[in-house]
Amino acid sequence: MEPIRYVDALNNKYGAMGFPAYKWSENETAPWTALSKPLSECTVALLVSGGISHCTAPAFDPDARNDHRVDAIDPDAPTDGYQIHDSYYDHSDAGRDLNCIFPIDRLRELADAGEIGAVAARHWSGFMGRTYDRSRLTAESAPAFAENLKQDGVDLLIAVPA
Amino acid sequence: MGLVARVVEQLGIPTVNVSTGRDITALVRPPRSLFINVPMGNTFGRPGDADGQRDILRKALNFAVTADEPGALVDLPVAWGEPFEYFTGEATPEAIAKQKKK
Repeated sequence: MEPIRYVDALNNKYGAMGFPAYKWSENETAPWTALSKPLSECTVALLVSGGISHCTAPAFDPDARNDHRVDAIDPDAPTDGYQIHDSYYDHSDAGRDLNCIFPIDRLRELADAGEIGAVAARHWSGFMGRTYDRSRLTAESAPAFAENLKQDGVDLLIAVPA
Repeated sequence: MGLVARVVEQLGIPTVNVSTGRDITALVRPPRSLFINVPMGNTFGRPGDADGQRDILRKALNFAVTADEPGALVDLPVAWGEPFEYFTGEATPEAIAKQKKK
């Protein structure tokens, strides 16, 4: 099956709703930092943008726009203690098993098996879609987020957009 | 999300983006991306399929080792097994009005 053309689909959907055309980010090059050690020694964190929050935290706005909120997620919390609020994707499966989109349990198992060094002290959920103020994202919100990763000694970030 | 990964990478931490939206990822060009042709929301597979979820996560981790150029985008040969479509969500009048206020 051919990949879904999300750019066209989203342009059509939001155009029909009367929104101005979304200027998609387009980059010709990418930054690069080489992994500094073997995976078996790496501390790994997860970041997901699928509107997932601890049940004890406020729900995400399911129709978020320009929402730079990013929550720290306790990697040892049971995976049934979460809520998902996001109208941009079908999270019915993730609602039954969070690991479909946020594989917290699977990462812990790989750490227990020694395939990675450790699970980071915090995972992360946030940076939901439709960010129009991208200069604030790249100048402020994302650098602040990276600082949190550094505090936790993270060697590798697995990012899961949704 | 891809933009966040680019900033994190620029500030010295390697990232792997696990994408279900190939065209968006190709435009944004995060440092390393795996594309999985499954419904958004099922990046790591089906509920209860721990082995399948672990396999994809393991491939993402390994891609941090094997990716060999900035902006690498590799298609994982994973089949969903049934057709799926773009998720249109619930574009209720309330949701539209709320978004327009922002």
